[in-house]
Amino acid sequence: MLAQVDTFVGPDVQWFALSPMLTLLGGALGLMVLGALTPLWPKGLYATFTAAIAIAVGVLAMFQWDDISDDGPSTLVGGAIAFDTLSMFLTITIAIALLLVTLLTDDFLRGTPNDGPEIYALYMVAALGGIVMASANDLIVLFLGLEMLSLALYVLAASNRRSLQSAEAGIKYFVLGGFASAFFLYGIALVYGATGTTNISEMIAVLQTSVDVFHPDTLALAGIGLMIVGLGFKVAAAPFHVWAPDVYQGAPTPITAFMASAGKAAAFAAMLRVLVIALPFYRDDWRPIIWVLALLSLLVGSTLAIVQNNVKRMLAYSSISHAGFILVGVEAAAHSAGEADAGSGMPAVVMYLMLYSVLVIGSFAVVAVVQRETNGDASLDAFKGLVRRRPTLAIAMTVFLLAQAGVPFTSGFIAKFGVIQAAVDEQSYAIAIIAMVVAVIAAFMYLRIMVSMWLADPADGSQPVPVPFLAGLAIAAAVTFTLVVGVFPGWLIDASDTVTSYAR
Amino acid sequence: MLASETGPIAFPILTAIVLVPIVGALLVALMPKSRPEYPKMLALLSSVGTGALTLWLMASFETGDAGFQFVSKHMWIEPWGISWHLGVDGISLFLVVLTGVLFPLAIVGIDPHHDGKPYYAWLLLLQAGVLGSFLSLDLFVFFIFFEIVLVPMYFLIGGWGYENRVYAATKFFLYTMLGSAFMLVGLIATVALASKDLGKTTFDLVEIAEGANFAASTGRWLFFAFAIAFAVKVPIFPLHTWLPDAHTQAPTAGSVVLAGVMLKLGTYGFLRFGLYLFPEASYWSRHFWLTLAVIGIIYGAIVATMQMDLKRLVAYSSVAHMGFIVLGIFAFTTQSMSGSAIQMINHGVSTGALFLLVGMIYDRRKTRKISELTGIQKVAPIFAASFMIVMLSSIGVPGLNGFVGEFLILIGSFLTARWWTVVATAGVILAALYLLWAYQRVFHGEPDEENKKFRELSLKEGMVLLPFLGVIVFMGVYPKPVLDRIEPTVDALITHVEDHTDYVEPEPIVQIGVVSEHGEDDGEEGEHDESEDGEEVEHEEDEGE
Amino acid sequence: MAELVWLIPAFPLFGFLTILVFGRRFGDPFAGWFATAMVFASFIASVGVYSDLLGMNEEDREHIENLYSWVPVGNLQIDLAFLVDPLSITMCLFVTGIGGLIHLYSIGYMHGDDKFSKFFLYLNLFIFSMTLLVLGENLLVTFLGWEGVGTCSYLLIAFWQTRESAATAGKKAFITNRVGDWGVMLAMFLAFSTVGSISYSVLNNNAESGLLSETTATGIAVLLFVGAVGKSAQLPLYIWLPDAMEGPTPVSALIHAATMVTAGVFLMVRINPILTVAADWVLPMIAWIGVITALFAATIALAQTDIKKVLAYSTISQLGYMFLAIGSGAYIAAIFHMVTHAVFKALLFLGSGSVIHGMHDEQDMNKMGKLFKYMPITASTFIVGWLAIAGVPPFSGFWSKDEILLFALGDSVALYVIGIITALLTALYMTRMVIMTFFGEAKWTSFANEDEMPEVSPGEEPVETHGAHGEFKPHESPIIMLIPLVVLAVGGLLAGLIQLPSLWGVPDSAEHQLEDWLHPDVAFGEAEIAGTWADDHVMLLVIIAISAALAGILLGWLIYQRKRVKAWEPTLFANGWYYNWAVSWFMGNPGREGFEDVAIFDSKVIDGAVNGVGVAVREVATTEKKTQSGYLRQYAGIIGIGAVLLLGWFVVVRGIL
Repeated sequence: MLAQVDTFVGPDVQWFALSPMLTLLGGALGLMVLGALTPLWPKGLYATFTAAIAIAVGVLAMFQWDDISDDGPSTLVGGAIAFDTLSMFLTITIAIALLLVTLLTDDFLRGTPNDGPEIYALYMVAALGGIVMASANDLIVLFLGLEMLSLALYVLAASNRRSLQSAEAGIKYFVLGGFASAFFLYGIALVYGATGTTNISEMIAVLQTSVDVFHPDTLALAGIGLMIVGLGFKVAAAPFHVWAPDVYQGAPTPITAFMASAGKAAAFAAMLRVLVIALPFYRDDWRPIIWVLALLSLLVGSTLAIVQNNVKRMLAYSSISHAGFILVGVEAAAHSAGEADAGSGMPAVVMYLMLYSVLVIGSFAVVAVVQRETNGDASLDAFKGLVRRRPTLAIAMTVFLLAQAGVPFTSGFIAKFGVIQAAVDEQSYAIAIIAMVVAVIAAFMYLRIMVSMWLADPADGSQPVPVPFLAGLAIAAAVTFTLVVGVFPGWLIDASDTVTSYAR
Repeated sequence: MLASETGPIAFPILTAIVLVPIVGALLVALMPKSRPEYPKMLALLSSVGTGALTLWLMASFETGDAGFQFVSKHMWIEPWGISWHLGVDGISLFLVVLTGVLFPLAIVGIDPHHDGKPYYAWLLLLQAGVLGSFLSLDLFVFFIFFEIVLVPMYFLIGGWGYENRVYAATKFFLYTMLGSAFMLVGLIATVALASKDLGKTTFDLVEIAEGANFAASTGRWLFFAFAIAFAVKVPIFPLHTWLPDAHTQAPTAGSVVLAGVMLKLGTYGFLRFGLYLFPEASYWSRHFWLTLAVIGIIYGAIVATMQMDLKRLVAYSSVAHMGFIVLGIFAFTTQSMSGSAIQMINHGVSTGALFLLVGMIYDRRKTRKISELTGIQKVAPIFAASFMIVMLSSIGVPGLNGFVGEFLILIGSFLTARWWTVVATAGVILAALYLLWAYQRVFHGEPDEENKKFRELSLKEGMVLLPFLGVIVFMGVYPKPVLDRIEPTVDALITHVEDHTDYVEPEPIVQIGVVSEHGEDDGEEGEHDESEDGEEVEHEEDEGE
Repeated sequence: MAELVWLIPAFPLFGFLTILVFGRRFGDPFAGWFATAMVFASFIASVGVYSDLLGMNEEDREHIENLYSWVPVGNLQIDLAFLVDPLSITMCLFVTGIGGLIHLYSIGYMHGDDKFSKFFLYLNLFIFSMTLLVLGENLLVTFLGWEGVGTCSYLLIAFWQTRESAATAGKKAFITNRVGDWGVMLAMFLAFSTVGSISYSVLNNNAESGLLSETTATGIAVLLFVGAVGKSAQLPLYIWLPDAMEGPTPVSALIHAATMVTAGVFLMVRINPILTVAADWVLPMIAWIGVITALFAATIALAQTDIKKVLAYSTISQLGYMFLAIGSGAYIAAIFHMVTHAVFKALLFLGSGSVIHGMHDEQDMNKMGKLFKYMPITASTFIVGWLAIAGVPPFSGFWSKDEILLFALGDSVALYVIGIITALLTALYMTRMVIMTFFGEAKWTSFANEDEMPEVSPGEEPVETHGAHGEFKPHESPIIMLIPLVVLAVGGLLAGLIQLPSLWGVPDSAEHQLEDWLHPDVAFGEAEIAGTWADDHVMLLVIIAISAALAGILLGWLIYQRKRVKAWEPTLFANGWYYNWAVSWFMGNPGREGFEDVAIFDSKVIDGAVNGVGVAVREVATTEKKTQSGYLRQYAGIIGIGAVLLLGWFVVVRGIL
């Protein structure tokens, strides 16, 4: 219910609490303006600048984290923005993604017409959008963030002017994305119609009083359904995943990495906000749908992955099956959504998001590096005998693949373990077992890549693959993170456990 | 099986045993390519060091103590209640020693066909994984080690194997991973349910096993989730078909380790995590396992008889032998379980040696086809003699190690699983059938042109085989030291089962009668107390149902 | 001295180990001499223990020498222990004694074989295992020896392993024996599960004091008998023994005639109290299997032309007699016959070996004859053996066989009749053999110039390969081979003295010596013969027996020497009633096919299922692939459908319903 007042009194803005977003905003605008005004910067400077921004965002987010853990969660800007560890955790995740992708992009763009500020600016806009989604406490704000993210990604997907695939990817993503956004927006409208508010906190309050289990509000239900369609599209959950393979494959590799990491993270954050936080009272209505989506994503993703021959496409499908895994976590979170003890579902989900983001960026980074050598070819053959051409690279890729397969002593295992644990804690054994079994199917795909890297002889005349410094840095960082978390995950688990105390 | 008494050794020897090979692997990986001889030396150094540690462990192990020794426990992943909890008892001790000793021998014995550096690194990682699984007393820790061994093994088979290696490696990896998929869920569920009884979330094996009591139905579900993983690893019929491929395609060292220790992960898992965690369920389901075990014994032997490939033959013989071990485990008597425990070692030694010898044959002849080998005994009598001894031990000839284990398993199983044992004993005949037939075709007869060139056992190879032969004879002639260390733990385990079920272990007692002049009336008395005895037997049978 | 019993196995073991290490350096002939010395040392040790026991009074003649605890688990406490008592020492005496002689003989026989030292390595190992077998205090130690001798027999049958037939025969022997071992193992399990121990003293004590139920006793007895049937080559498991003749002749003499094959009989005697308590059909079963085997084998022996095959079948037949004795409760007679048989059968085998040696590895009796004048010593000693086995007094065989038949009659007339018939046949085929070999006309000259000799065996001096070219002359064997023959011949003549029946002319002091000696062991089981019709008509029986033997000899003489009667040697006999053929056919065809089917089942069905899963997943995936056509409209369609379904769920299912 909007208050009727003669004079519009703007809400008071806690500037520091918003500093991560503002930094990104500033960074994006600054880079665009300066980049437009000044001539071409010395090589690597755009990237360095963006990386600096990303680091700044991460650091600021950590400051916020302290405040939150001291003063507890709250809402900002008249309850439009949630100021809690959930948002900060994802802010940090997205910042890390931004950082790594930037490092990766720099060299990738060398010598292409895109080598300029705009890509990085778009990165930052997208990141900002993602953070807004993650911290939105109002469906409208959430939609705002969603559109910022999406529009930026549409452009990025199509950014390689020389490649038809890239253009095609951009178009597909744009059309279907718009389609999905429409669903989402319409869903918001219906829910607003049902509850009379778009603000999540108020929505909870309203539903607390008005919801009637025996005569559920069909309007709200329809809205939920439509919103799930939109979110499902963003997280690339089957059957709304269809765009992902083509777009992932077509888009320039670093951008694919960004979509698969930051994009997914933001979308899942939104899903948590909308379903788990805002609509716990309808959980029995939407949980089965999440269950089905999880199942479909797991099956479709992993089965289709094993019959591909293009590594990028494989990873696209594997990201779909990973989405399935995360949905298993969401499903677990749904069981105790809205309750005081929110269970281990949400922590599992956010941790998975962070770990997977690093993994997927690392994997795509290796793909990108290999592609440079084979001028754009990312087929399995391009990876043949990689261990001979660049052992370190092969080992790094192996780490990422094993981690994605969920092999112990890697972050991937911790992530899977967390999700499965959450599911089992909520007695949804069936989906847990299915997920684990499907993981075996997916593992076959990872093994195929490893086979061509390790056990196949390099195509004759193939050169050793040079690894550019920044990309190498990104990969090294990712590997380190993967292994360290794999062995000492305690701190991360502690951090993610706090997200259950979100702003209500 | 109460935990946390610490052995005489001050420093955390178990942790060291696990870490030394890992460090070794890393160092090997960092070796410069320019000096190809370093990796082997380093690998040897590290594995010998590990072996020495395990031997020291055995030396300072306290006989007659059923509990876990040298326990080291440190909180690892606090929020999930996971702790780095290692300990060794009578059942795991010799498996650890076997692992510690087998690897250096495998490293000395056979050189890889090509680039040794990664080969040795993987081998050492494998050793660490296996040792970790044998030593860990925390479900999580066990699982990660149990799972991680797949990776080095995958690369060993895939990288240094034979014609069909990629298929075999992939099959091995996925098959085993599928098994552990269920185990992971079951494991987490176990912890989740146990936390209700224990009032806290912990993955500690001992706390759960001693503290938690699951409802019968729940326990059975959980047990089977674990059992699938172990059954694949053992392997138990009909989940065995990954094994022949993996064994045949793996490089010799791989087969040696696979047969020597990795299969034991399954049977060890049954003992440590099946029976100990879920005594009720494992007792309840014993007939199921007994039947599968017996099928495996007969079936494996029959299929082995028909193999054309020497390595495949040995692989299938493993299926049969592991069947004996499973039989002993699920017969729940002191003799049978001690038999299984010791048979794990014996099978590791003799089958390991067999694969070593087959590998030597392959290195000389570049074939494993039985049909292409003949008359080797004439050109290489010492080689043939070594093969003969190992073969006899595998057949289970008394005086050699193989017999002790099989005998104990069977005589123990006869108490609780009479008819299964009767059939299983027939497997002893078949073992002779396929091995002797293979021996005749390969070693007897006149050597043809190809086999005339067969090289006699070299000194180095002899040195590698000697320890195997030594153990084969020693364990056959004087198994007491080993049994003395195993038995207390086994007894404790059986008591644990008895506490959680209505099972009572039958313990036949010697009674000496008085021989009197009047045979007749004595006879009647005899009938009399015998009938009681008979009822007793009946009683046991009833419980058996 | 009894506590030094471990010396008995220790010497051959030491010999084995020493030759194992230094064998090649010892070489030919020293390795042989060394091995022989070890066995004789062991014999002396046995004599020492024997005299020690003699010194004690009867009831003290049992000493358990406990070396160490072998397999101790829970209630199962198995020691490596030796049981010193009249029975085991009797066995030790003749095992080591005859074993020593055969070692000596082998030095000559194996001379020049390039695996000379290995041969004696195995022989010593065999003697070691055999002594373990007989000295064992519990079933497991016996089983240790039991399997040890089995293994040695496998190794020695396949000694000339380059010969396909030899290798196969060795394998066959081992596997057939395994069938018996199955029984022995189960017997041990049963014993432990009911009595809680597998030591003879406990088992026998339980049987004698009535603690052992009839069912259990029956079970143990029958299962052990299965083992005995395998080891002692009775029906239906005898098939390995004839093939075992592929081994060097001394092996046939030592293992497959004198010692190992009698292990089954020994085991039965050892557990005679259990046999006695067992169900009343057990002993008759044993008796019948024994006597039928005896007759069966005798018929086959009648038609064999291979000199060693004849002896092999005659061994089976004689073992049948021993089981007949067991079955009719005549344990002493069984041991008695075992000893005498060991002597004269070893004699016969060594003699045949000498013949084969002199005939340049000719084993076919059709190519012999008239050898008496070429190898007189061999021939005359052989004749002693012949008379002994034929049962002509005063040769040893007569006494022991007569005693068995006496008890058989005490048990049932049918057994006795078959026994007598077998005795007649025995005399007949032995006569046939002797005549074909040593008398009649020399058939070998006709082969003189033809190069028909089988490939020259390592067992002969290179200088004597003149068989291949020009005139061919059988020759007497070297002295070292003849000494054992002579010694055994004396034994074959006198062995009967150890157990003389109570007949006129026999001084009481000389009567039943073996019986008195073995009494403590068999007191419980031994059947009571005194007072039966049979016992009252001993003299009559003796006459019947003698006449049977003489009839057989006469018949043989008429047929083969004077050619008055046409020889009757149906192919049915020559082919051993086609039994062996049938077994091998079954193993070869249905058996093998069955195995192959299982193997195919494994690769096609079980492994096929595994791979099938993989294929199936792939199939599913390829069909799914069609959804990823790349067409925007199709994608939009899919999303649309998804959306509709979702709405359907929320609005219809959750909302309206």
